[in-house]
Amino acid sequence: MRNISRKEFLKVGAALPLAMNSLSLSAKGKEKPSPRRIIFINNSLGFYEPYFFPKKRGNLSTSDYLKDMKAKEKMTVFQNFFHPGMETSNHDSEKSFLTGTPNPESSNFVNGTSLDQLLAKEMGKDTRFPFLNFSIYDRGWGCSWNDRGSAIPPMHDEEKIFEMLFEEEDLRSKQQQLENDQNILDCLRRDLKQLRGQGSDPGKLNNYKAVIGELETRLRHEKFWLETKKPKVEKSLSEDKQFEFSTKVKNLFELAKLAFQTDSTRVITFSMDWIYGAIKVPGATGGWHTLSHHGGRKDVITKLSQIEIDVLKHFNNFLFELDQIKEGNGTLLDHTTVVMGSNFGDSSNHTCNNLPMIVAGGGYQHESHTVLEKPTPLCNLYLELLHKHNMDFGNFGSSKKDMNLLKS
Amino acid sequence: MNLFLTLRSRVILYLITISGLSVSFLSDSQSKVTLLEQESIELLEQYCFDCHDEETKKGNFDLSNLLDEEDHDGSLIFENLITSRMPPADKKQPSSTQRKTLLDWLSKRQNSKTINSYRRISRHEFVHSVNDLLGVKLDLTRNIPEDRGTHDFDSDRKILLTKEMLSSYFSAADEMLEFALPEKGFPQERIWITNKIKDSHDTYNIYTRNYQEGILFSWTRANNGNNYSFFYDNFDPPVKGWYELTFDAKKLGDFEEDISVLVFSGKYYFADDRPQPQRLLDVISLSNREVKSHTIRAFLHPGENVSVHCYSKHTFRKKKGDQGAYIKQLKAKGPLVDNWPPKTYQKLFKGLDIDFTSRKPIETSTFQTKLKAIGGSLSVSSYQVGMEKEKMQDGSNRTFWHSQFSPTVAKPPHFVVLKNPAKKEINGLSYTKWSGGNGNGRVKSYSIYLSDDAQSWGNPVLEGKVDITRSYEQPILFPKKTKKKYIKFLVTDAVSLDGKSIASIGKLDVITSLPQTIPTSEISLLSRSKKDLKKVIWQFAEKAFSSNITEDELAPYYEVSLNSFEGHGDFVMAAKAGFKAVICSHRFLLAPGEHSNKSYKIASDLSRVLWLSVPDQELLNLSKTEKFTTQTLTEQINRMLKDEKSLRMINSFCSQWLNLRSFNKVNPSLKLYPNYNDLLNHYLPIETEKYLNHLIQENLPISYLIDSDFSFLNQRLAQHYGIDGIIGQKIRKVSFSPESPRGGLLTMGSVLKVTADGFDTSPILRGAWVSKNIAGNTLSPPPENVKAIEPEHGKATTLREQIEQHKENKTCYACHKSIDPYGFALENFDATGQWRTKYRIKKPHNGTFQFRLEGYYHLGGEVDASGEIATHKFDGVFGLKKILLSDHRKVAYNFTKKFFEYTNGYKPNLKERLHLFKLIPENAKECRIKDLITKVLLYSLREGEE
Repeated sequence: MRNISRKEFLKVGAALPLAMNSLSLSAKGKEKPSPRRIIFINNSLGFYEPYFFPKKRGNLSTSDYLKDMKAKEKMTVFQNFFHPGMETSNHDSEKSFLTGTPNPESSNFVNGTSLDQLLAKEMGKDTRFPFLNFSIYDRGWGCSWNDRGSAIPPMHDEEKIFEMLFEEEDLRSKQQQLENDQNILDCLRRDLKQLRGQGSDPGKLNNYKAVIGELETRLRHEKFWLETKKPKVEKSLSEDKQFEFSTKVKNLFELAKLAFQTDSTRVITFSMDWIYGAIKVPGATGGWHTLSHHGGRKDVITKLSQIEIDVLKHFNNFLFELDQIKEGNGTLLDHTTVVMGSNFGDSSNHTCNNLPMIVAGGGYQHESHTVLEKPTPLCNLYLELLHKHNMDFGNFGSSKKDMNLLKS
Repeated sequence: MNLFLTLRSRVILYLITISGLSVSFLSDSQSKVTLLEQESIELLEQYCFDCHDEETKKGNFDLSNLLDEEDHDGSLIFENLITSRMPPADKKQPSSTQRKTLLDWLSKRQNSKTINSYRRISRHEFVHSVNDLLGVKLDLTRNIPEDRGTHDFDSDRKILLTKEMLSSYFSAADEMLEFALPEKGFPQERIWITNKIKDSHDTYNIYTRNYQEGILFSWTRANNGNNYSFFYDNFDPPVKGWYELTFDAKKLGDFEEDISVLVFSGKYYFADDRPQPQRLLDVISLSNREVKSHTIRAFLHPGENVSVHCYSKHTFRKKKGDQGAYIKQLKAKGPLVDNWPPKTYQKLFKGLDIDFTSRKPIETSTFQTKLKAIGGSLSVSSYQVGMEKEKMQDGSNRTFWHSQFSPTVAKPPHFVVLKNPAKKEINGLSYTKWSGGNGNGRVKSYSIYLSDDAQSWGNPVLEGKVDITRSYEQPILFPKKTKKKYIKFLVTDAVSLDGKSIASIGKLDVITSLPQTIPTSEISLLSRSKKDLKKVIWQFAEKAFSSNITEDELAPYYEVSLNSFEGHGDFVMAAKAGFKAVICSHRFLLAPGEHSNKSYKIASDLSRVLWLSVPDQELLNLSKTEKFTTQTLTEQINRMLKDEKSLRMINSFCSQWLNLRSFNKVNPSLKLYPNYNDLLNHYLPIETEKYLNHLIQENLPISYLIDSDFSFLNQRLAQHYGIDGIIGQKIRKVSFSPESPRGGLLTMGSVLKVTADGFDTSPILRGAWVSKNIAGNTLSPPPENVKAIEPEHGKATTLREQIEQHKENKTCYACHKSIDPYGFALENFDATGQWRTKYRIKKPHNGTFQFRLEGYYHLGGEVDASGEIATHKFDGVFGLKKILLSDHRKVAYNFTKKFFEYTNGYKPNLKERLHLFKLIPENAKECRIKDLITKVLLYSLREGEE
């Protein structure tokens, strides 16, 4: 199968019907269902709750942070979600945001597979990139965790992400490279087999074998897409270094939008974390982490809120722009489920109760503000999202049941 | 049921069993454990349960319940016992034998956690190893994602290789191999000479001025506090590689200290005072008063330019007078190849005949516009004397063309016509405004016309505006490429402050996509033999894998090369394919790899730990012929530490153990610390690395970690620490006076900065750092639902009170008594590590920030650095050092644990800790750092051996 080009691949009929769908998106005339996308955004230091949650039940205009959201009719703020199993200081609770695995700080902690990865297994088949994950800086981990509970390093360099998504590669050399890499993988596989016979550490060999198997799948996927030109888009990234953090957040949202708009991917995870040192946003400079431990002091909260407002400003804009892009019988936002939240409820006290959570878009009947009667595992919502995407693996994390909170 | 009862009843049961029934079921070891257990419980009862039973629970610590928990591994109890933290000094103490009994028991009952028997190599190890294998220096670490997760050490075994990591290794391997063995030959070495700087924000032009044959720079700190730097024009690195940058420069100014020239490379994006995306390459220290050449070597990428920032506390925004750094010119040479034929070929294709042409640098000293390069020229509508058309072509926009204004003002239209006699394909024009003046005459809009004869121009092909605020190049792209002979740039609107129609342009050039061929020096191998190819791969694989390998083992790797060779017949390309397979293999990426004997494994581990790389030939030769003895190993460790490759270990260990990896993530507030700058930021971590390296090389006692009467400083660091008489930026050993609080790691600016957030110091954060990294206290993670206390110097009087709240809560205090005091002791050091006796309180300040040397603060309350650690009272850092020095074993034990973890990728288990503790000499003076490192290495390497 190695040397089959995409065209042949299609002829052979091995491609999924869905792939055909997405490939001929540009062909006019036929009514095709718009692809469904999903994005998870985790603001790891949380949001100051009194400013985040609406003061009057059901009315987003009574939230200091959300009153200016432009897509109010297409979003729901959930109150009273929590992740069970967070009983210590929860410094690492971010690891479990999308997995729901308890006790991330324990020395024996092994993470589960994250929700985005489960979704990407199906939703990622038909796009050039099965999923994308972003972080603010190079730290190698975020909210995406693979089948073996290993962190999937997020990308953080806007230029590189843009290049990967939209810049044309030299077809011949890329082809050459893919072939070479395939040869190398074959070689490594042979060597593994050889070593297995010689009684090498099976754990080590298995780990490597799994990894090269996945890389091989990735190469096949790349080969399949080789002859399809990447979409051309205007480079709309900001280079403002004055508000470096702000620029970063803005650009990553912009890239997420472009990636969805061009159907380059359908699953994105964006882990927002800037735990070290001071950041500068319009109106405030300070250590985000230090400020997040506001201890209830007003002046500190004022500064912290400037950062949170800045993050939400870009989020607001992201939703708005998605909603401006017409697609099929709705907008891109209608076909994109946006999940925004945090692993911390109150990061000042490191607690993981009453997590700030927003679900927007996705074509659901939004209720602007849903207060759950009692503390509810966030994994219930995750389970529901799996079901909504026609996936069922039994329970997810600490889920108890699908509560059908999102009405179609 | 609590442990006390559980264990006691178990013991009783055993006793009944032993006395009443046949003992033959109990093996010897079982009964030993039992006796040990019985003895230990009695000891616990005797020394611990008074305070830590279910009822008293002192320090919220209920020992009995804790031991009853299934998954409790006892390390907390173990650590407190081994470091004699418990029982407290004022309580009855167990004898050393009794202590040992308890420790033995705890280490035996610890469930040995399943630790992976292997680990992946870190991205730093990958890059260094491949560089050493190929004989190049290319730092691609940043192309590979951070791979440490939330663990302290890069080597942590819990982190498994992922597809994404492997994939980034594949790409990094491609890039490194291409750099070492470029497919299209080695780019020719060229020489550029320039004394022109690209323009900057107009306002900052006053901080540089033309002087003699070059430029005089003064210390320019922009209004927003940015360390403003000036970019050199007319040198763009054509390819990535190493370049030699020679500055002919001298110091001007009637003061003693050296002037520093910070050399950066980066992109010139903003023609205003925003920080440019750039990195510091090196610093030149100017003491010479006659022009002298100062050369640095730097790795540059295409698209980057070289920029300079001059710093001396005497030359801040010096507008007049002859003070500052005079740079006559910059000479750039590169890309450099160390030898010719290059080292890579000699190394990788040893014994094969190399065919190569000679290599000499090409002078490209004279600047040439693209217009000239295509044989073009230009003409103008009119010009003012001294501001002729040539001034648009000299590579500087400080000189400019101006339409005539004296004695008469030329009437519009004002235009420039560019001639393209060879009818080359032109994409557009590159326009740059004249920077300087008051803005009068600056072009606002233009029209472009094309013509074959310079007579009939027809309609404009393009009309547009330029940004009058931008000082750097603005591309004007035509709707489609043209080969017309004449291009007219017509000024349709310009700034007019006095109502007159005038025009000026700083630079104007064409944009062409003419292939810029980079001349290369050719090199190839004469061999076409498969046998040679096999030999080449074989040699490489044996080095990379640190092992003898058989022909069968080689076969898959050789085949990759062979496939490639048979495909295109290019020997070097084929070899590259094989090399890539080798460095992307599990044998290379996972450690331990596969080694034909134990010595190879030891050599490989040793070089990974000390050099972050693969073994050198000497280690390989030793591995082949002999089994390492303790003596040969010790000799090798010695030799390897002397090799400068061990600086990688120093760097790596400092960044992991001391968390200096986060050093650059903290930016001190310019309002509170206006003197903090790039230069200081550059040298602070260097001090720590030099110091630690010195302690290791000289095998000094472990107490030097805590205190000493010297460090490694230069002019800038000495200024920071308030030490006079250190001139020049060369780092050297400097002695402290006995009154100085400096000396040892704790008082280094690097450590003090990384343990604060750039604004306020937090005794909690600093305390936790000292407690964890130096004192080695084992603490349990804080419980949930506890209100966090954060420092706030705005109300400095209450800071201590705030933190002292910890004392009121038993739960908090149990741990915080081993955290906060360390931090309080360091309160005399601000967030940048400078000594203080009073807090700086930020003045309220709204509106746009304007940098000023005096900052925006006033002095607040007195610093109180007193505290108490385990009943020892202290007044400040001196007292803290004394307490830490009082038990060298504690510091040494912590150090060995950290080095063990760095070496092995996991925290030592209790048995291993017992062993590590035994490595520590009783006599503090005999407890030396290199000895400890050597012992930990020997112990780790021989693990599993009898």
